[in-house]
Amino acid sequence: MKHVVVDPVTRIEGHLRVEVQVDEATGKVTDALSSGTAWRGLELVMKDRDPRDAWAYIQRICGVCTTAHALGAVRAVEDALGITIPKNAHYIRNIMAATLTVQDHIVHFYHLHALDWVSPLEAAAADPIATANLQNTVLNTYKLPFRAPGTSVTEAFEHDFPAATPQYFAQIQEKVKAIVESGQLGIFSANWWDHPDYKLLPPEVHLLAVAHYLEMLDKQRELVTPHVIFGGKNPHPHYVVGGMPCSISLEDGNAPVNTARLDIVDRAINMGRSLVNNYYLPDLLAIGSAYVKAGRVDGGGMAKTCVLGYGAYPEEPFSGTKNGGFFKNLLIRCNGVVEDFGKGLAGCKVTEVNGEDFADRKVFTESVDHSWYEYPAKSEAALNPWDGVTSPKYTGPKEGSATEWKALNETGKYSWLKTPKWNGKLCEVGPLARYIIIYVKAKKGLLGELTWAEKMMMDQIDAVSKVLGLAPEVWLPTMVGRTAARALDCQLAAEINKYFFDKLIANLKTGDTKVASNEKWDPSTWPKECEGVGIYEAPRGALSHYIAIKDGKTDNYQCIVPTTWSACPRDDKAGHGAYEMAMMDTQVKVPDKPLEIVKVVRSFDPCMACATHMFNAKGEKINVITTDPYSGTHVEK
Amino acid sequence: MDKRESMWDLYLKKGMSRRTFVKSCVALTSLMGLSTDQVSKVVEAAEQKPLPVVVWIHGHECTGCDESFIRSGAPLASDLVLSQIALEYDHLLSAASGAPFEAHLEETIEKYKGNYILCVEGAACTKDNGVYCMSGGHTFTHLLQHAAQNAKAVIAYGTCAVSGGIQAAKPNPTGSSGIGYFTGGTPVVNVPGCPPIPEVMTGVVMHIALFGTVPPLDGEGRPKQFYGNRIHDTCYRRPFFDAGMFAESFDDAGAKAGWCLYKLGCRGPETYNSCGNLRWFQGMSYPIQSGAPCIGCSNAHFWDDGAMTERLPKFGQPIGDVDQIGAVMAAATAVGVAGHAAASVVQKKKRIADEKKNEGAGEE
Repeated sequence: MKHVVVDPVTRIEGHLRVEVQVDEATGKVTDALSSGTAWRGLELVMKDRDPRDAWAYIQRICGVCTTAHALGAVRAVEDALGITIPKNAHYIRNIMAATLTVQDHIVHFYHLHALDWVSPLEAAAADPIATANLQNTVLNTYKLPFRAPGTSVTEAFEHDFPAATPQYFAQIQEKVKAIVESGQLGIFSANWWDHPDYKLLPPEVHLLAVAHYLEMLDKQRELVTPHVIFGGKNPHPHYVVGGMPCSISLEDGNAPVNTARLDIVDRAINMGRSLVNNYYLPDLLAIGSAYVKAGRVDGGGMAKTCVLGYGAYPEEPFSGTKNGGFFKNLLIRCNGVVEDFGKGLAGCKVTEVNGEDFADRKVFTESVDHSWYEYPAKSEAALNPWDGVTSPKYTGPKEGSATEWKALNETGKYSWLKTPKWNGKLCEVGPLARYIIIYVKAKKGLLGELTWAEKMMMDQIDAVSKVLGLAPEVWLPTMVGRTAARALDCQLAAEINKYFFDKLIANLKTGDTKVASNEKWDPSTWPKECEGVGIYEAPRGALSHYIAIKDGKTDNYQCIVPTTWSACPRDDKAGHGAYEMAMMDTQVKVPDKPLEIVKVVRSFDPCMACATHMFNAKGEKINVITTDPYSGTHVEK
Repeated sequence: MDKRESMWDLYLKKGMSRRTFVKSCVALTSLMGLSTDQVSKVVEAAEQKPLPVVVWIHGHECTGCDESFIRSGAPLASDLVLSQIALEYDHLLSAASGAPFEAHLEETIEKYKGNYILCVEGAACTKDNGVYCMSGGHTFTHLLQHAAQNAKAVIAYGTCAVSGGIQAAKPNPTGSSGIGYFTGGTPVVNVPGCPPIPEVMTGVVMHIALFGTVPPLDGEGRPKQFYGNRIHDTCYRRPFFDAGMFAESFDDAGAKAGWCLYKLGCRGPETYNSCGNLRWFQGMSYPIQSGAPCIGCSNAHFWDDGAMTERLPKFGQPIGDVDQIGAVMAAATAVGVAGHAAASVVQKKKRIADEKKNEGAGEE
């Protein structure tokens, strides 16, 4: 048995450490530990801030999924204050969200995940002519033609198309060779390039992917221009409670948004469609199918036992979250939990998640068995975020010192992440969860007539099943499936982007240019105390923000974010977290070079800054927040 | 080190002409805000200097600065990372992980001692010996000190690295601060912003790559070429301020017409940054152009400067006449400008007083 540590896990957001026990004879991972090793305390910073500013502070949780937390925050505040935003603002926010998803997924695949699959060293051995031919084959074989029905066509042809000429690939190869030969490998330094996984694909696939790595690095910036138009910048665009700050006028040259500005947004949306359809999805399917054909259908872990989603993209402005308004007109009804998907359609179970689940304090809870926090002796082992006690108890490692670790303590506390639970169970969240939930709900007839987006998801799953020659129940809950579901989610988001852009234009045609509702802007119009929940299916999965407002100020702020769900430490009753389960469901060939481990962890697209929780600097219990639908919210100091 | 290529070597390899090379140098000269008589210096620098080695480390941060860096339009991130610098260590882009990656960092520090550029993103966490920010099994502050003392220069990217940023906002739960306390005698370039503008981030590295020296800095260690103006001074809405034409609420007629956002809390008058002249995405927009008041994200401790949507006078000495600027335009402009300066000073004083007060409260 070999104890293997990977710290830092790179090509992620934030600070993550994993430790695994590998049986060297069989390559089986017998135990795995995932630890969030940094913690910033942003929720605590929120105390007493103006709730109208919450979006700006809490957006700084993460600059990779920028806008995700801003959207969670404005939705939470609007839920608390009973604000319904104007149609234009709602459509624009959905464009902001879909834009993030498209760009974030592309950057994840090419710049964070790709070097787990392909190597510049292998690319050096490719034949540029064969690579050009391969590009044609990949497009002919793996391009999936799905589109949102009836959306506008504003481009004469697809402007963003992969080059398939030998000269192009020869040029890229020459650059790669020059870097390798210089001995100054830069970002390519010190990786496990001699790992056998890199021999799984022919050299031409490596060269193709490396070329697209560079091309997407240049192009990804253009995908987020909608954030720059509507929010002034990216990362960290601006929002406003009650709508959006970007006033629209088709009569004023100085207006934040007019036709010329909308054209920039439309161009970015068209580009997103082309990049995912012509690069991302075909490349992913070419690589993924090679892995599946080589028998690599491991790494599913918790996807086989429990996945959670909140539902995505309300079609029209909604009246709130706690009252169920959010759930009434969802474009993607992935609100629910699917248990035991690994047992197939017949053996799995679906439970809906709705507004009342956010009011019932027993549904969503967090435990700290293995987190560097402690709960008072008398309290429950798991507490709702609103009742949450956050009292740090840093115990250091099993081996080493408090500031120099050798091995963390898997039987004790080992992470700054808490362990969130749904009805006592741990869940995986993310694009894969969304696809599994929609697939199961649709197949079980729980959705009635599918929305166009849900129908597209079913068509995508069907198409990939044909490519891989496997049933969805087999390929979805795997490492390849998790990575593939993200690419499908990207294609879907690109279409959703266009869909809401068309809705925005159609609404502007009616003469309605309103983007902000100011009726409840003045704190004197607010109740003395109120609370709100904002939920959003972020690129990495189900996100919830909770705010309690008292006397016009933020009294408490809590979030349960996607990476907390997936990267959490184990729970004494419910077992390992999703990262840990996935690692334990992964075969390791060379224990000293655990490429498979970092690959399966990166298939989740870790975002650690999002995942950590609040604490009191003095090591004291800060407060106990109690929210009860009958007695209201109060804070015990 | 001998093997590293200069920019001119790369142009030769690509089979590009001397003319193209010089044209690129001219473009770079203007990008860096230098006068045209500096072109020959740029050409000289680009011909001879080997690619600088860059090490990029992360403390308490959100990776927004990395993300901003790769949004750069000129130079493109791909060109910068693969041809202008040797980025030997970066958690976001580097292929490697774990022990071999940490060993490579040590080798790089040893091999290029006194010669590499250290980029730091994120704040230094100091509470309880820094255990709230661990990486590679060590505290971040341990790594920071070690990497900074052996570097040629340090670039503090983003408001977090410069002055602590969001995690240092009250009550600063992790005892976070800017990195300046840990860099010893190594020169530091401060590049504040949350995040900084992409081309400002890449521009600072390009300056070092081309000239082998840090760009000219102001009294706060910021590159003068990017932080020499207040956003207010170069704001395209400035004429409306001078004319007394203000948006009074979000999305009112003034907001639609693009009038001044000062009354909605805009911090442009106290914020030194390039948002007004460079703007974001190569001139496409900046928050004010998109209808959102500036939140002053390049100012130290801006998170604790009061409610964002309330304008400066509420937190300092009122610029009482701002509401009457339209009536007495010329005079009011002068008074208004003086007023901003006064308000900034008063605000800073108030913040210092608040901090003192809080420190006192903490001791009770």
